[in-house]
Amino acid sequence: MTSPALRRVAILPDAVANQIAAGEVVERPASAVKELVENAIDAGARHVRVELEQGGKTLIVVSDDGSGMNRDDAVLALDRHATSKITSAAELVGVRSFGFRGEALPAIASVSRFTMVTAEEAEGTEVVVTGGRLDSVKPAVRQRGTTVTIRGLFFNTPARRKFLRSVPSESRASVEVVSTLALSHPSVGFELQVDGETRLQVPPGQDDPGRLAGVWGPDLAGTLVPVNYASGSVRVTGYAQRPGDAAPTGRRTQLFVNGRPFRDNFLVRAAEAGYRSAIHPGDRPSLLLRFDVDPADVDVNVHPAKLEVRFRDRFTVERVAEEAIREALGVLEAAAPVGDWRPMPSAGGAGHSVPASLFAPLDGSDERPEEERGVAAPGTFTAPVTQLFSSYLAFEGPEGLVIVDQHSAHERVLFEEVMAQLAVGGAASQRLLLPETLELTDEELDALERHREAIEAVGFQAEPFGGRSVVLHSVPAPHLRFDAVACFREMVADLARGRFGGWANRLERFAATYACRAAVKAGMPLGEAESRALLFRLFQTKLPPHDVHGRSTIVQLPRDELERRFGRR
Amino acid sequence: MKFTITREKLHEGLGAVAASVPTKTTLPVLANILVEASKDGLRLSGTDLDISVSTTIPASVDQEGATTLPARKLVEIVKELPNAAIRMTSSGEQRATIECGKSKFKLLGLSRDDFPAFPSVKFEGGWKVAAKDLQKLIQHVAFAASTEESRPILNGVLWELRADRMRMVATNGHRLARMDVPTSGHGGGQADLIIPPKALEQIRRLFGGDEEIEIGKSDNHLGFRSTTTQIYTRLIEGPYPNYEQVIPRENDKSLTADKAALAAALRRMSIVASDQTHRIRMAFTNGACKLSVQTPDLGEAQEELAVAYEGDSLEIGFNAAYMLEILKYMPTDEVRMTFKAPERAATCEPVGWDDPASYMTLVMPLRLVD
Repeated sequence: MTSPALRRVAILPDAVANQIAAGEVVERPASAVKELVENAIDAGARHVRVELEQGGKTLIVVSDDGSGMNRDDAVLALDRHATSKITSAAELVGVRSFGFRGEALPAIASVSRFTMVTAEEAEGTEVVVTGGRLDSVKPAVRQRGTTVTIRGLFFNTPARRKFLRSVPSESRASVEVVSTLALSHPSVGFELQVDGETRLQVPPGQDDPGRLAGVWGPDLAGTLVPVNYASGSVRVTGYAQRPGDAAPTGRRTQLFVNGRPFRDNFLVRAAEAGYRSAIHPGDRPSLLLRFDVDPADVDVNVHPAKLEVRFRDRFTVERVAEEAIREALGVLEAAAPVGDWRPMPSAGGAGHSVPASLFAPLDGSDERPEEERGVAAPGTFTAPVTQLFSSYLAFEGPEGLVIVDQHSAHERVLFEEVMAQLAVGGAASQRLLLPETLELTDEELDALERHREAIEAVGFQAEPFGGRSVVLHSVPAPHLRFDAVACFREMVADLARGRFGGWANRLERFAATYACRAAVKAGMPLGEAESRALLFRLFQTKLPPHDVHGRSTIVQLPRDELERRFGRR
Repeated sequence: MKFTITREKLHEGLGAVAASVPTKTTLPVLANILVEASKDGLRLSGTDLDISVSTTIPASVDQEGATTLPARKLVEIVKELPNAAIRMTSSGEQRATIECGKSKFKLLGLSRDDFPAFPSVKFEGGWKVAAKDLQKLIQHVAFAASTEESRPILNGVLWELRADRMRMVATNGHRLARMDVPTSGHGGGQADLIIPPKALEQIRRLFGGDEEIEIGKSDNHLGFRSTTTQIYTRLIEGPYPNYEQVIPRENDKSLTADKAALAAALRRMSIVASDQTHRIRMAFTNGACKLSVQTPDLGEAQEELAVAYEGDSLEIGFNAAYMLEILKYMPTDEVRMTFKAPERAATCEPVGWDDPASYMTLVMPLRLVD
């Protein structure tokens, strides 16, 4: 054997290295679009225009009015690890610009026919690269900014080209990418043309709600309520969908951390937990949440496409997300079409009301409290209230007809009352003149034993009475038509069957069960004074618009709608 | 049918009957009043199928006959007519003409055959009671009946008829009222009847003075009648709970107080009490009663009241609304309350009532949680 030993290990030529990097950075047209648009934004563009043909397979054009580059920088930009964004490793922590590795441009250029026209001042430069090989650098005429044109993406890597999806699918991915970027930069204008059709057009200098309407469409944007919440070093702003509008399909979510979009299904789920009792289990609300955290507390470089981030204290971020949503939904606006129409009753005193009696007092004088004689006492709900179908309470709000489900409303009121009672005690419990004896099943007896403390805290006193019987000595009195025995029986049965099992917190589970069973039912006629008292209490709760099952408590028929239906508009 | 009647009489008669006409009904004829002219005068009747009322008023009848007319409209017309003779004629069964002075109305009605027949009640072998005794019982007891529908039996008032006394009892399980009135024989035998308070209210309203009322019973109806008026009501099926055994006999602490002063203090306290439970607290020591209330999220209040108190000191919670209600029906200026323990029933009785009747009310405490 005389042949010289072959060297097996060699440094790859740059062109190959760039192609490999392209595999990481540019896996499909949408990722090229993302890199290029991010570059444009990093360059301080006020307006970014994107044009695609065949889902970007044949043509991608990204042009901006950013800072542009001079001739030298333009050529250097196509070298690997050429970047204007960081200069040392120390700057890696706390990076605020999008790109910094200097991999994107050379990677894209290595797998396409690449043309870049850029101008810093009056004089422009055109750089043409084909499959990573620099073809030409020549002067060009252009206004300040940069235009990158990519034709035939992956023309020289057939394997990757083969794995591209259908044109509609690739187009969708690019639309998604541009939408996300548009949402994160309301100050930058975007225009996206796909095969000659404008898919997105938003002007520069928009505010958040305007941008949201422009990108997600006014219909969806109209169902959102603002979120603005801070706890510790974490601040959450953005928008959450009204629970009543959340549907099992068609949701859109968008998360940002320090202005950078990212994906995190666990964080979305944590935010959904903020809806807890307010939506059906299958409903998926649309969310746009911006997290502002100390840049040192988040690592954004764990994913090559920077889609995922890692929080130093993930638990806190999830907790704050949940709290932010809950707080946002507490506002009544979340119930029904926008407008702040929470009827603000005058604060304070609550009059006593003796149940109306058929029988006049002996001396013939009217000693009934004022509100029963039709005089509004301060601290009560004063708008005229009508009961519909013995189930709903309707009244005139500033912006329309407001309809409240009496059972849901009372459920919400009781739920919050019971939670307070479980925390500090203080439920009043009426001793019964005629104690009630009930026969329970073994499971129910077991449930009764397990929840004894909570059951007593809400006002039931039940004692064993031999065998499977218990005797009820004291009961709560949440409303005039309260059927204590039925409530107790149903509540114990629910507890035994594990209804509301989805609720993580045991006390909340109990409170929901009790509230559901103790509340006035649909079909119970309520008096005017009673209806007002219920509404007054409802609007004092933390979450008036939703009951413990996640159903709406309040529905509003806007005046506009009414006038439209009567042909007045 | 043809008759003439004074406006005053007709107005009075309609007033008696109209209250028994239901405001909402699925049976159209129930919204009408049955008008029957006979040689005895004019008989007006209304019913909601549970309670039926009929009254006879003097009228000069030219031609006998009957029809039914819409109650509300008839009442409104008669109310607005001048004080003069009213002449009513019916041409055919379902149309009536009402003339008074220069006014003339034609009202469409429904056939009398559609009007439900009154329950057949046998008054022979029934009871005879004085209207004023019955009124007294109803006035003091019926308020305590339950309005909550889970135990229909408690929605009624128990009326016990015994050889030498009558008793009424009502309770909603939280408070109870009981009154006994001695009688000097009322015919009939001993009976326990459970009556809807709505019917008792009609009885209280429509019978009065020194009238003697005849009472008859069928399987599930009770009839009351005087010379001019008849009231029929459905009975609530028993048995009534054994209230005797829950009336305390061992209450060893007692308080005597001025009713008005106690009620005023309770009303003041309940301003700051919870809207739902009306819970107030009472603490008794020798010679003093301290009332207090504490409501989270609202505030608190205290008040001291001079009373005569005998027994060990006691602290007990009540629903102020129940207490006030009970005091409202107390017939004397001074009342006496008795207690045993914070979880046991308290009683309230009039002091120095110059009436042969005996009256007692009872209220269950609210548990106090500290």
